[in-house]
Amino acid sequence: MAEVRTPGAVRSPGGTPGEPAAPPAFPGGPGPRPFGLPGWARWAWRQLTSMRTALILLFLLAAGSVPGSVIPQQGIDAAAVQSYYKAHPALAPILARLGLFDVFGSPWFAAIYILLFISLAGCVVPRAWRLLGSARALPPRAPKNLSRLPHAVRYATAMPVDGVTAAAAAVLAGRRFRLQRGDGWVSAEKGYLRDAGNLLFHVALLGVLFSVALGGLFGYKADRLLVSGQTFADTVTALDEFHPGRLVSAADLPPFTLTLERFTARYVTSGPQREQPLSFDAHVRYTAQPGGPARTGDLQVNHPLSIDGAKVYLLGHGYAPVFRVTDSRGQVVYDQATPFVPQDMSSYLSEGVVKVPDAQPQQLGFAGIFLPTAVDVGGQLQSAFPAAYAPAVSLIAYSGNLGMNSGAPQSVYELDTAAMHRLPVKPQVLTPGQSMKLPGGQGTITFTGYRQWVSLAINHDPGQIPALISAAAALLGLLLSFVVRRRRVFVRAWRGAGGATVAEVAGLPRHDVGGGFDAEFTELAATLRSAHQGGPPPGGGDGPPPGGQPAEGGGENLTAGHADPAP
Amino acid sequence: MAVAGSLAVSACASGPIAANTPKSNGASFVTGNTGAQMFKPGDRPAAPDISGTTLSGSKLSLSAYRGTVVVLNFWGSWCSPCRAEAPTLAALSQKYASRGVRFLGIDIRDSPASAEAFMRDYGIRYPSLNDPSDELALAFRGTVSPGGIPTTLLIDRSGHIAGRIIGESSYSGLNAMLADITAGSS
Repeated sequence: MAEVRTPGAVRSPGGTPGEPAAPPAFPGGPGPRPFGLPGWARWAWRQLTSMRTALILLFLLAAGSVPGSVIPQQGIDAAAVQSYYKAHPALAPILARLGLFDVFGSPWFAAIYILLFISLAGCVVPRAWRLLGSARALPPRAPKNLSRLPHAVRYATAMPVDGVTAAAAAVLAGRRFRLQRGDGWVSAEKGYLRDAGNLLFHVALLGVLFSVALGGLFGYKADRLLVSGQTFADTVTALDEFHPGRLVSAADLPPFTLTLERFTARYVTSGPQREQPLSFDAHVRYTAQPGGPARTGDLQVNHPLSIDGAKVYLLGHGYAPVFRVTDSRGQVVYDQATPFVPQDMSSYLSEGVVKVPDAQPQQLGFAGIFLPTAVDVGGQLQSAFPAAYAPAVSLIAYSGNLGMNSGAPQSVYELDTAAMHRLPVKPQVLTPGQSMKLPGGQGTITFTGYRQWVSLAINHDPGQIPALISAAAALLGLLLSFVVRRRRVFVRAWRGAGGATVAEVAGLPRHDVGGGFDAEFTELAATLRSAHQGGPPPGGGDGPPPGGQPAEGGGENLTAGHADPAP
Repeated sequence: MAVAGSLAVSACASGPIAANTPKSNGASFVTGNTGAQMFKPGDRPAAPDISGTTLSGSKLSLSAYRGTVVVLNFWGSWCSPCRAEAPTLAALSQKYASRGVRFLGIDIRDSPASAEAFMRDYGIRYPSLNDPSDELALAFRGTVSPGGIPTTLLIDRSGHIAGRIIGESSYSGLNAMLADITAGSS
């Protein structure tokens, strides 16, 4: 009969080999110990902080971002969401319930990245703790048989045992080894900077995580398009886009007011780089608080303006032709600069729409192009240069229902002509001052001039500087942990036969990728030997030991291998 | 999480302009945070004293309305939900005119020509302050601020903000709020 052995089972005193051992009496009764809630919690924690789980979560994070890119998002383009509802009436409510119209704000996405953060932190923190202990540890005891180590040297010396160890300790301490001493032995280790570097890397990694969280919670990004001459106040209603962090509200926006006084763009006028931009310069005036002193500044690309914690960047620019529309009753129903969007970055041919929802009797809409330097090339209108040397517009007129009265949001750059009909007027090219008369007495549109607009980004990221510092520290820590090697040197001394003291020096590199430990050990052993034997300094040749003691027969080997055994 | 983010994302914006080539689909009126809320008499913050120039050129300030209930409406002629709620505001401004309620508009990011055409179109007779830069909203920072366009603030007779509607206001909703405030005589 096979003997059943359970771990920790104790053979009952009277049992014979043939009998099965009696199972021990556990508190919960016989059988395997129940796992219990603490056990399950520990198991779950270990699973969560394992590398495999972290990788799976990272993959889920990437996979979860895919619907955020494919399906229109509520926070970015609500108009597209509404048109998605119209296009897929059955599917849209299901997607909405799954949270796919606001992926980056949905609970399941938040769960993924919170779990990822916990997993990374839970993995890094214990490792950092262990590294801290390892960086502060003392070197271990010197092994009894030093000849087994890859580098070992043995020689005789006239100094007593205590003197040998004291001299060795002095030499090694002078070379900044960390020492542990015992009875007849000295143990030394160097290269703790490696573990310190590793520790710095782990802590810096946590710092990067923390900075990213800081930026995500307390940072925001906002955009605004500003026509020259216009002013805007930094409020939610004045911004074109506002993407706040989780804990940011509209009240956290700094209350500055900014006016675009003029915008100047210079381009290359001749040569092979013609039409390339030379510089963009937005001259602005701003006040940091309402009623505060007005300051002026120059915004250039990659030279942001810093106002009260927020950074204002110049992103792009374009043209905004000014139109005046008179309706059939002769009243001016539209008179403002309309931003047009550049379609071609070299010639700045721009497209845009003019919506006149309050024209009587019917709403009017115009779609057209603006050409900064209009030329007629074979019957086709083109823009020859991005600067406005010969500005012109060409418009198509529509009348009907713009679709704005129902309350559904619309893009200011797109005209919905579904409920409009095109007016039968020949397309004309208008230069500044010219008008186009609409048929049927519906009114007139006049191109009165043009202005330029700039697009500004107002960003605040409190985690930017901490992330930079953490990343630099992580790099430094990584470098240290690769470059610095840990190595140990042991010195043992004992009374050999004949009253002479035998000293043995051995070395052990813990990580020796570059192979530089050989030379270091050779030089160190020679120094120690000269300290013990009072001989010439290392590199000074092979003189006879002045202590009068003959060297052990057989010579000494200074490299890996075999030291002669003491007789 | 939804509560925390609720105050933030409700800008009625007029176009995403990012890099050098802005996408041609512009206006994103984020209406994620529409809704009405009333404040109890003890919880009402004081309304700031804003002043400005009306569309017709005269100077006006909110303190001149002390003693009446004021409906302050942030709007723009370019904003679709504002157009949808305009008939409601016109009708209610007429209805409550005799009950000591005055309506005042703040016209944001707009030109006087378009704004006046809007008011003619919808028969809006109450004045509006011309605020193309949206600076008047800065005065409300820290109290009950306009969270998007349109926003309608209800200010009681003592000059405290009694309610707010973000987004298009419905006739029944605004009517009920006005009846509540005028009946409470606070």
